[in-house]
Amino acid sequence: MEELVSLRGVTRTVLLPDDQELHILRGVDLTVHSGDHTAVVGRSGCGKSTLLNLLGLLDTPTGGELRFQGTPVEQIRGNARARLRGSSVGFVFQQFNLLPGRSALDNVITPLLYAGPSHFWKRRELAMDMLDRVGLAGRAETFPNMLSGGEQQRVAIARALVRGPRLILADEPTGALDVDTGQAVMALLDTVATESGAALVTITHDVNVAALARASYRLDSGVLTSTEVPLGVSA
Amino acid sequence: MTGVVSALVEAWQELRINKTRILLALIGVALSVGALTSVVGVGDLAREGMKANSERNGGRSATLGLGVYGPTMPDPVKLEEAYKGIIKRYGVEYYTHVGLSQHGFQFPSGVQQVQMQLVDPGYGVIHRTDVSTGTWFAANDEERLAPAVVVSEAFYNAAGRPSLVTHPKVTLTGDPKTTAVMIGVVADQYPEAPPQAFMLMGAAERVGIAAAGGQFKFWVQDAQAGPLKAAITSDLQQQFPGMQIHVDRMDYASNGDPFAVAQLAIGGVAGLVLLLGAVGMLNISMVTVRYRVREIGIRRSFGATSRRIFLGVMMESVVATAVAGVIGVMLGVAIVKNPWIESKVAPGLTEYPPFPIEAAMLGLGAAVLVGALAGAIPATVAVRVKVIDAIRF
Repeated sequence: MEELVSLRGVTRTVLLPDDQELHILRGVDLTVHSGDHTAVVGRSGCGKSTLLNLLGLLDTPTGGELRFQGTPVEQIRGNARARLRGSSVGFVFQQFNLLPGRSALDNVITPLLYAGPSHFWKRRELAMDMLDRVGLAGRAETFPNMLSGGEQQRVAIARALVRGPRLILADEPTGALDVDTGQAVMALLDTVATESGAALVTITHDVNVAALARASYRLDSGVLTSTEVPLGVSA
Repeated sequence: MTGVVSALVEAWQELRINKTRILLALIGVALSVGALTSVVGVGDLAREGMKANSERNGGRSATLGLGVYGPTMPDPVKLEEAYKGIIKRYGVEYYTHVGLSQHGFQFPSGVQQVQMQLVDPGYGVIHRTDVSTGTWFAANDEERLAPAVVVSEAFYNAAGRPSLVTHPKVTLTGDPKTTAVMIGVVADQYPEAPPQAFMLMGAAERVGIAAAGGQFKFWVQDAQAGPLKAAITSDLQQQFPGMQIHVDRMDYASNGDPFAVAQLAIGGVAGLVLLLGAVGMLNISMVTVRYRVREIGIRRSFGATSRRIFLGVMMESVVATAVAGVIGVMLGVAIVKNPWIESKVAPGLTEYPPFPIEAAMLGLGAAVLVGALAGAIPATVAVRVKVIDAIRF
């Protein structure tokens, strides 16, 4: 399987106002291949979101090596990185982050506004197809405030997948949902990712969600370790 | 191409979604542009009105007046020959004698003394004498047996406003009496002005009306005025040795453009109006961007480049202000072309000029510029937003 992202000894440090360094990630090693379904579990503040931002090219490491599709990220600059992110990475956020005032369809269309001509000129069809895949074709013109939490997250999934990304990054995708809805959303995410052949990396503090992944890691105080034993059992 | 279209689509989407907020901002811009366009348009109209009045009194730019003075009066025949020589030598197209005379006219209400100006046909062009009814003098009017007169509105009213198609006659008192034909009517020089009349110099001489004092004027291009003045002075000095030769500009622009200060003042007011509109727009744009930080972060996570975010925020502002600009210009046109405003701003004009295209272009250009400026600052702020912080905003 093709290697999508690889982290070798990656560190991320920020300077606090009192000039002290805060080490968020410490020597993280992780490889994500296409088709992988990986979960990273950890408590709040352990560095999960920072790791996700690095994987999604939203941030750069302080140390170590991060490669995206074989290219060191420091070699991919500014707008090229944004374009690569747009074409290869799809984000699903905990709070859905749907754009207010726009219909479900317009929200799914949004990433296509930054795509090339082949996607842009067929944006409505592509977005409708995607909404259909997440079972929301009938609610395409509905605004986010009129959708339930589960429906909003399904719109967010459709939006993340509409450009056919090779890597889907889900940041606490069930964090704002009840247990049943969360499970349904995770099942959908897993199915859609499998169908499209994309890698899925789920960041969560919920061991039950992490247990759905084929590979899982625990992040604790910036240190990433592989969990051999199913998380649901060990927790 | 796709990038520009998609940026426009995005800008339009933003305008559609935030229509109430943007509409409020745009009302300010539209009013500013309307005010700017109106100020410039009204200023232009007023300038045209003042110019028309000035040209009516002193002649178009550049009108030169000739005078030969000395201890004795110059020989009128020789002077006339000299004038004709100048016209021929320097290829002058529009020229006129201007003499004043007072004569009694028989009106239905009785005899009234009327101030007459004895002129040549060129006077009409040089002094921009627009006839409201009938025609101005033609060259062959001098050959009429009954001299032609162009009269003022006050004269025309006193004569009972006969139809000029019927070649209405008017009698000049004296011995013998002279019958003249009214061929045209011009506006009064000022409200409540007494009756006035114009008659061709040659025709007046033939019926025995002499001019008290006289002047010879001709109209040349601005650039030619200086060299011609020197050449004609020297020319006349040779023909009338020992006499004083005066060749002077008579028109309103002889000492520079008198409307330049007014134009500057109008420009200043217009600039201030625009500045106020721009500050209002900028204020709202800045608030808008702060309100949209999270959205910008989300868009960037989906691949929007910083260039694209800049273009999007900027375009939104430019598209909106361009629409406001069109509305503002239409408002300005409606104000400036209002008949009541036209008559008050430029009472001297009989035909109002079309709405100045430069005022419309200035209004529209200013609107787009305001949009670009009011968009550039928040767009820069938007580009500097850190994606991670923005998403969590």
